[in-house]
Amino acid sequence: MADEDETKEYRWESGYEKTWEAIKEDDDGLLESNVADLVARAKRKRAALKDTGAIQLGMMRHLFVVVDASACMFLQDLKPTRFLCVLKLLEVFVHEFFDLNPISQLGILTTKMKRSEQITVLAGNQKKHIEALQQLKDLSCEGEPSLQNSLERAMNGLKNMPAYSSREILVLFGSLTTCDPGDIQKTIKSLKDNNIRVSIIGLAAEVRICQEIAKKTGGTYNVLIDDHHLKELILNQVQPPAVAGSMEASLVKMGFPGASPIVNDGTSDSSADHAPAYCLCHIESETSSLMGPNGYNCPQCGSRYCELPVECKQCGLTLVSAPHLARSYHHLFPIKPFIERAQVRETTHCFACAKLFVEAETNVYECENCNQIVCLDCDLFIRETLHTCPGCASDPVTAQMKTN
Amino acid sequence: MLELKRALDAKGHCLLEMPSGTGKTTTLLSLIVAYMKAHPLDLTKLVYCSRTVPEIEKVMEELRKLMNYYEKEMGMEQNILGLALSSRKNLCIHPSVSKEREGKVVDGRCYSLTASFVRARHAADDAVPICEFYEGFDAHGKEFPLPPGVYNLDDLKEYGQMKRWCPYFLARHTITHANIVVYSYHYLLDPKIAEVVSKEISKTSVVVFDEAHNIDNVCIDSMSVKITKRLLDKCSNSITILETTISNMKENDSKRLEKEYKRLVEGLRDATIARETDMALVNPVLPSEILEEAVPGTIRTAEHFVAFLKRVVEYIKTRLRVQHVVQESPAGFLRDIHTKVCIDRKPLRFSAERLASLIRTLEISDLTDFSPLVTVSHFATLVSTYTKGFTIIIEPFEDRAPTVSNPILYFSCLDSSIAIKPVFNRFQTVVITSGTLSPLDMYPKILDFHPVIMTSFTMTLARPCILPMIVSKGNDQVAMSSRYETREDTAVIRNYGNLLVEVAAAVPDGIVCFFTSYLYLETIVSSWYDQGIIDQLQRHKLLFIETQDAAETSLALINYIKACDNGRGAVLLSVARGKVSEGIDFDHHLGRAVLMFGIPYVYTQSRILRARLEYLRDQFQIKENDFLTFDAMRHAAQCLGRCMRGKTDYGIMILADKRFSRADKRSKLPKWIQEHLKDTNCNLSTEECVQICKRWLRQMAQPFSREDQLGISLLTLEQLQSEEMQKKIQQRAQGI
Repeated sequence: MADEDETKEYRWESGYEKTWEAIKEDDDGLLESNVADLVARAKRKRAALKDTGAIQLGMMRHLFVVVDASACMFLQDLKPTRFLCVLKLLEVFVHEFFDLNPISQLGILTTKMKRSEQITVLAGNQKKHIEALQQLKDLSCEGEPSLQNSLERAMNGLKNMPAYSSREILVLFGSLTTCDPGDIQKTIKSLKDNNIRVSIIGLAAEVRICQEIAKKTGGTYNVLIDDHHLKELILNQVQPPAVAGSMEASLVKMGFPGASPIVNDGTSDSSADHAPAYCLCHIESETSSLMGPNGYNCPQCGSRYCELPVECKQCGLTLVSAPHLARSYHHLFPIKPFIERAQVRETTHCFACAKLFVEAETNVYECENCNQIVCLDCDLFIRETLHTCPGCASDPVTAQMKTN
Repeated sequence: MLELKRALDAKGHCLLEMPSGTGKTTTLLSLIVAYMKAHPLDLTKLVYCSRTVPEIEKVMEELRKLMNYYEKEMGMEQNILGLALSSRKNLCIHPSVSKEREGKVVDGRCYSLTASFVRARHAADDAVPICEFYEGFDAHGKEFPLPPGVYNLDDLKEYGQMKRWCPYFLARHTITHANIVVYSYHYLLDPKIAEVVSKEISKTSVVVFDEAHNIDNVCIDSMSVKITKRLLDKCSNSITILETTISNMKENDSKRLEKEYKRLVEGLRDATIARETDMALVNPVLPSEILEEAVPGTIRTAEHFVAFLKRVVEYIKTRLRVQHVVQESPAGFLRDIHTKVCIDRKPLRFSAERLASLIRTLEISDLTDFSPLVTVSHFATLVSTYTKGFTIIIEPFEDRAPTVSNPILYFSCLDSSIAIKPVFNRFQTVVITSGTLSPLDMYPKILDFHPVIMTSFTMTLARPCILPMIVSKGNDQVAMSSRYETREDTAVIRNYGNLLVEVAAAVPDGIVCFFTSYLYLETIVSSWYDQGIIDQLQRHKLLFIETQDAAETSLALINYIKACDNGRGAVLLSVARGKVSEGIDFDHHLGRAVLMFGIPYVYTQSRILRARLEYLRDQFQIKENDFLTFDAMRHAAQCLGRCMRGKTDYGIMILADKRFSRADKRSKLPKWIQEHLKDTNCNLSTEECVQICKRWLRQMAQPFSREDQLGISLLTLEQLQSEEMQKKIQQRAQGI
């Protein structure tokens, strides 16, 4: 995850590293492999969790990301520093988040010097968030964080969100201590009353209070092992969570702006909809330029946007495209987890990637519907990226059934 | 369990070391109860001795669970009676007496309401107050035994309220026929109390001493007497009170004194057959042959005895008026007292008994004032009874303040086996157990018994949940040690400080540090303050310090827990052998790391200790150094064990002293700690230590559920019955 562009510090400046310990020796039978095993099993567990198709998902999410910016974020156990690493990963997260949850909103807070600062307000525009994250890189990390202050602030932002949305807070917490003005238990209680879910990712070690907050509000608490694990943990938060408690179902008004036909020469079209105009996403930045005819117009007020999904600045309508909705659709109908099988004699290769099974691989995975067998890598790929089983899709009978 | 069964079969004693949180109590209880059920004739009673009231309550909870399980599985009421016994203070339900907070006052007031002569007086005159609960118990309670079940202290109180019987006397009465009795060590070890409470426990009992790593000190304390000048002054006061009461009585009711005189002539045996409530007066061990003799003539009459006591007190007073330290044997003391004030050994020996009798006769109901006099009379009895294993040390001043005259006479027991010997002799099986008993072979030596089984168990764990490390040097490679020579070295102190600061930055929530002594703690903290280390530390965590004042310490503890709970994090600086190191558990987030700064050697210049060491060398062939190391290491292990209270718990243990890595120290740690102490972690610098901590903490923070433990450290019934597991168990059984 280390950023190649960052100027590398000298070897003697970097943290104490024992490279020989990267080679995990496991002579006493318990140590690292066991923990790695736990992580792998947790991975499978998460996959298994998703299969309960009937649960109601909080598809419309309002999420505050709280980033710790206290002194301990300058530590270099994540490369180049914890803070930069986290910001980098958050960019990926923001991107993925809007990709999978197109009708959701996100805001960013930081906490340092016992205070909490708002970086971006709740909004559905990913560009703005990513820009803000990039600017954050120059922020100096100092002082102590305050969990209570940042949770209170996030709570104030989330309190008035509509009841059908899922209210969430994600805290990336590097410090082992929090400096709070009052009783944090009260904050936890009001978080719970407001149905806000707090998930925390710890960057150093298990802190009791974080554990407690996550447990009481129905969120998750995880601590990273290394930067890859951190990426995984952050990206786990992309999936919409199951609804906690009862959430009323209601209709949401949305706009589906039609995309302008892409015209290569761009001059012949004279219809008002496709006249060149400033796009509203970039109108504030000084470098904004007149956009061509490409872009999306709000069906309600006609404002132009260069990217979807977005919340219309003029009339507040949520603008999405049909594929976006379809994409969040798969959360509702996840594919059933494949069954773990011991090596089967008759099949010699993976159905998906045609890789030959070798002796070393002990487990293969079978789809319940089409009985095709895939390897572990394909299993994860299908589950995490594809969201559809190639076996079922290629079989005309099952594919037909699905559309019906 | 296997080992325990062997010990029970062999009717011998055993010594078991089991890490805390591994179900020690449950194992002991369930096996012994099952054994009692299977062989009701061989084994009739379980006496479970624990240290503190909360621990007693915990045992009772376990027992209740066990009984519920039995009931569920067997489908019928179990005919087993288990109960807890504590002092009057914890059991009294008398509306006004129970409000008293000091144990002694409660005892005294209870005595003044329930003593036989008070009750006799009440019969004549209704105005004399008595305790209605005791009366209720006395009238009805003795005939109706407690129905089978498990009674903890609160249950007893409730039952007492319901029936309007005194719970304390009910419990005392029930001990004789209860199947399981849970109480504090002292009821069995302290001869003065044991005589009263535990006399009638049958031979075929199993006695379990839990948390028994300090059992030798308990034994010694129960037999030792400390006399200060203030105590003697109080004695003189009580003697004057005695004198006036006697002269009053002589005028009014001389018959009673005469009666007493006659009784004493007939022998002490009869005198002790008093009502059980009168036994509240303590009674030191007297060899039974003494009891059968008559009280010598010189102290038979009340006046003579009072005069005798006066002489003894005056004699001790003169002895205290010394300018230098005196150490002598009991025999020397007796000779001296004979030549100086013409007191023989024999009357001295009877003084405790005689005083008890006198107080009974004089119908003094408030006993609290007489406790100093009772102490002196015990001293007199003990000094004349035992000539071996004891020593008398008179110090004119304390070591710390050599200018202030504060003479103290220590009559100190050197041989821990004296107090516990009756227990070993009497009961068929004695089980001594604790989380930290290593090195095991020392205990049989100092307690002078022969165990049939002596084992140290380890934990089977699904993950390496303790991380013991020996940090021997700071980042600047200066060796860290609390050796006397380097103790004041600023480099060492600074390195200790840096270690703490860095660990505090890496470890979440609570950290507990142990120092070797209060003095050392104070010097270190003050120089840390000068070096700015305290400031650095407070950036990460709040700082709390244990002091010698109990109230202050408990306040610090409460706030420490609060700071850990709300995420601020805290560091507690405390002292090995202090209150914190003994009874308080720092489970889960309260103790994520324990730091041991230096080896907690006992203060070696103390004369009592030196006398004891000498005695151990002469009598048991234990080298001084061996004993000192043993003592230091068991306290270190005790401190380290504070942070591990169960299988889901995890904690770092840092031993910050170069000397810990030597084989003689390392091998004395409990097996369950040694198992995790790898060679690579034995000689670390601060920086390396912190790196290891960080990585380990991340691993430990990974989600850990019940399923992960299944099959490794937790077995389902099916797994237990599976062939593979059976084989493993067989192997283990044969291997031992």
